Amino acid sequence: MTNYWIQLFINRNSTTSVGAEENLNAILKKYYPGDYQLEIIDIQEHPDKAEEAGILAIPTLIRKWPQPEVRLIGALTVQTRVLTGLGIANVDHLQRQ
Amino acid sequence: MSIPKLQTGIVAFDLISEGGLPMGRTTLLAGSSGSAKTLFAAQFLAMGILKFNQNGVFVTFEEQVEDIRNDLKGFGWDIDLWESEGKWTFIDASPKEEDVITIGEFDLSAFRIRLERAIAKNNAQRVVIDSIGSIFTHFPEHNIIRQEMSKVTMTLRRVKATALITTERTEEYGAISRYGVEEFLADNVMILRNVLTNERRRRTIEILKFRGSNHVKGESPFTIVPMQAVVIVPISAMKLTQQASGQRVSSGVRELDQMCGGGFFKGSIVLVSGATGAGKTLLASNFINGAKESQERCLLLAFEESREQIFRNAKGWGQDLGQLEADGLLKVVSTYPEVCSLEDHLINIQELVKEFKPDRIALDSISALTRNPSEKGFQEFVVALTNFLKHDGVTTMLTATTHMLTGGASITEGDIATITDTIILLRYVELTGEMQRSITVLKMRGSRHDASIRQILINEEGMQIGQPITGISGLLSNTPIVA
Repeated sequence: MTNYWIQLFINRNSTTSVGAEENLNAILKKYYPGDYQLEIIDIQEHPDKAEEAGILAIPTLIRKWPQPEVRLIGALTVQTRVLTGLGIANVDHLQRQ
Repeated sequence: MSIPKLQTGIVAFDLISEGGLPMGRTTLLAGSSGSAKTLFAAQFLAMGILKFNQNGVFVTFEEQVEDIRNDLKGFGWDIDLWESEGKWTFIDASPKEEDVITIGEFDLSAFRIRLERAIAKNNAQRVVIDSIGSIFTHFPEHNIIRQEMSKVTMTLRRVKATALITTERTEEYGAISRYGVEEFLADNVMILRNVLTNERRRRTIEILKFRGSNHVKGESPFTIVPMQAVVIVPISAMKLTQQASGQRVSSGVRELDQMCGGGFFKGSIVLVSGATGAGKTLLASNFINGAKESQERCLLLAFEESREQIFRNAKGWGQDLGQLEADGLLKVVSTYPEVCSLEDHLINIQELVKEFKPDRIALDSISALTRNPSEKGFQEFVVALTNFLKHDGVTTMLTATTHMLTGGASITEGDIATITDTIILLRYVELTGEMQRSITVLKMRGSRHDASIRQILINEEGMQIGQPITGISGLLSNTPIVA
């Protein structure tokens, strides 16, 4: 059982999307190895899912779990802000570095 | 080559736009808050569904879908049903409760894909985005939004959708919109206004430009009517093409018919001007009673007296209007001028005429209607009303009150005298030590008429016209003089 369930809506045609995926992977691997479930959804392939989730901007990250849901938009370029946004800016993690 | 237009189905709009919205293009609909942008946009989709069997997509960036559904029910549009039939599709992009944090670059490709998909799914021809300003408040990165919305309009162009995008304005007469969206939506621009003049709200629509195609210039007033939504009063698009009838109808007073050379022309506009108590309402009452013999249908629009008062007074003149009403030949509608705007009065009168189909109308008095509006609004009202009535061939009598007891022109007359066919003056004359009432036909378009000034007697048989009053001059000015 993982503690984090994260969805990332991307568009394979766009460079910002590819960047966001890389940035997110790096962050999750570094701070939460094995503790997360990451679902990458390409809106070109799954427009239904984008519809259902009400996605407008790409890339959009949704933290489905833990509740409440959190949404981050953009290429996720600033690591500290992503961590704060996800609510995993655990002081211990940062101090351990 | 001029760009083809898509008939909207919003009746008068198709008139002022000379055919509708530019087909396959996007039109910017700008307006301050409360200017009925959302309603107009929704009506564009609803009319497409009801009149042309064209499906629509409604994108909301602002109001919640549930609120829009409920608001539109008041106009008799069952959005739920249309949604289930695939005729109406919502794309809900309204603000939600959860926080959205932006970190780094993004684009709106998800929105574009959803939009294109919704259009393709039901083969929608009409698209509304309401409102573009709201998306700027969702995202602080305005440069990105501007660029992305520009791509959205390109997508719409590619799929050949006829679209309306609404945008907010902060001032009624100023920059077209906030956030400078007109930079990429500059081809077709319309403005809705809701201006406060003389303590009254006046709504207007203006087509600022349709690139490569014609339209009526300037503002046209409109009003919002239950079950009909936006109803435009197309003043500037009206044409002077009424039929002129040679047929005469009785004024209800035999001597007056003679003075007019055989009666009023059918479908003409008669203005009766006089001071208070000079006999205007009586003449109007005679005019209605005069329809009895020919079994014509009459509509009396009273803005000064109640139905009961009118009936009682008419009885005193030997006219049984109650019987006429019971026979279905007369309909009396009595309202205060202040209850609604002039545009609403106009729409109401048009509805009444369509419903009752009168042959003649008496409006007592048109001066009462000047109590609320701006001068321009009043002129527009009179022009639109008389145009409509003439078009329908309704013989109309308008009464106007002059301020001075003995004469003098009122504002009302000055405004409307030129569009009336016949003008009758009712004046007090001071004659050998007593006040006498007089009548004269000042103008009778298309006919000879008796230009003399005649005495009037009012008795239990109504209005009696007597002999010409001779030997006085200055009757039309304030001080008649016995020569």
